Amino acid sequence: MKLCSALLLSIFSIPLAATPPSVKTEVIPITAAIADDEAIQKVITPLAAGIKATFGLPLVQAPQGLFRGRRGEENLLGYWVSDVMRQAAQAVIGSPVRFAITNAGGLRANLRPGLLKVGDIFEMMPFENELVVIELTGAEVIQVVKEGILRRGGEPCSGVKAVVAGSPESPTYTLVWEDGSPIDLSAVVKVATSDYLYGGGDSIPTLKQGRKPFTTGVTLRQMLLDHCAVLASAKQDLLAPAPGRYTIPVPILEAIRDKKFKL
Amino acid sequence: MDRRAFLAALGAATVASHLPLRGSDAAASGRITLLHTNDTHSRIEPFGPGNGNLSGLGGMARRGTLVKQLRQQLGPVLLLDAGDTFQGTPYFNRYQGRLDYQLMRMVGYDAGTLGNHDFDNGVDLLVEAMASMEQLKHPNPPFSFVNCNFDFKGAPALGKRVRPYLIREFPGLRVGLTGVGVAFAGLVAPKNHEGIGWRDPYESLRPVVQRLRDVEKVDLVVVLSHLGYNLNGSAPDDLQMPGRVPGIDAIIGGHSHTFLETPTRVAQARGETLVAQVGFGGVNLGRMDFALARGAVRAASGAAIQLVG
Repeated sequence: MKLCSALLLSIFSIPLAATPPSVKTEVIPITAAIADDEAIQKVITPLAAGIKATFGLPLVQAPQGLFRGRRGEENLLGYWVSDVMRQAAQAVIGSPVRFAITNAGGLRANLRPGLLKVGDIFEMMPFENELVVIELTGAEVIQVVKEGILRRGGEPCSGVKAVVAGSPESPTYTLVWEDGSPIDLSAVVKVATSDYLYGGGDSIPTLKQGRKPFTTGVTLRQMLLDHCAVLASAKQDLLAPAPGRYTIPVPILEAIRDKKFKL
Repeated sequence: MDRRAFLAALGAATVASHLPLRGSDAAASGRITLLHTNDTHSRIEPFGPGNGNLSGLGGMARRGTLVKQLRQQLGPVLLLDAGDTFQGTPYFNRYQGRLDYQLMRMVGYDAGTLGNHDFDNGVDLLVEAMASMEQLKHPNPPFSFVNCNFDFKGAPALGKRVRPYLIREFPGLRVGLTGVGVAFAGLVAPKNHEGIGWRDPYESLRPVVQRLRDVEKVDLVVVLSHLGYNLNGSAPDDLQMPGRVPGIDAIIGGHSHTFLETPTRVAQARGETLVAQVGFGGVNLGRMDFALARGAVRAASGAAIQLVG
């Protein structure tokens, strides 16, 4: 394609030579590379340096850091992200958001203990995924969490507690709201997620059935940056949420890893 | 682009470039190249490493060079954008769209339309970004905004900067440009499009296209659309538009981030409409060539040009 485009450009220049002399022609060499326009690059270069400098700006203290968790450990970093998604979604739509889910695969780095910088959030969340609010039934929320368990042993989420018990051959699965109350299967609830997951990314197909999608226009990264800034201005540290959202026995986690588990 | 499509495009392009320019009173006869982008999403710099097959592609400085080369080579050229210029990189967070629009003027855009993300900071900051582009000291003139399905009655500062259509005159032919935007529901927070109403794009386009054809006597009608390429009948889209609105020659689309290597040819009452879209993030520059003779489009072709450094 690159070669084709270049060829097209150069061939175009031949017949144009027959047009009035006021039309300047130039043969563009058959090469894929396009140089930067100097005047435009001159504007961009100092601004790019400024943007990069902002990566070093301090955000907030995270004395214990936030970690994704090694195999079998809970993803406290993901819990924090999904908690912030829920809060941000509530602020945007102005009504309660019962559940939030993101994907562990989208969190690309841990937040190490100490003073967090803007660049750390960019490193952890390099994607431009946006916060989306959808409506699901209680039954669909239960199914969404189940799909995450089957794929990765549970995707980071906020608002619920999942318990898988029994053996890999004969498991049981229970999901309740975070306060322990049962989930009404037919109740319609607001759910925060990313446009990536809502669009069918990372194999949580039930999220695609979400209704009344509201695309907030806020990237997850900007949402996290804003949250850190609020904590810092309130002179609060960034602390990891409590564990306990997924309880899954090790033999079942191993069966999930080996793709031998059904629920 | 596969070999067959490439050869077809090449054939049409060669025919296009051999057609004569028209005399002053004769029926339209000439050629025009439309260069286009969509959903550039504040990608001022090329995509960095770690972005899969987009890594290293795009960048506004490179776009500037390619546009300059093509303008020098081709003569009649319009550089157009189908919206969603804003949101996506820290440049937008810091400069709130002012930098995007100013650099677009430096690159030499002629016109653009508004996408849903262009409202992400609300109407006032959108107007501010437009005003900063108008005030830039630069030899290129400010570019125009076109849209015919937003009702700006409650947002006059934006309304006076967005025209329902505009005409560009070239040797031998007149081009009419208009634009349509996607419904705000579910995409733009209500406070960010305050005062702006949305109307059905097909209903809004019909009288505008008719006016361009019958009153303004344009030879080529181009729609900048931020509706999306193919919504399978769930909402108005670019593929359905030619069948619903007669008289459109080219649709430059956006919103769905669809990568088309060549425009899709959609049959309609007057012949065919070329529907194009070049992905997102400014990784490609689209190009469509039209040749007109005796008042009608005789050849049309197009391709996406990748911006490689």
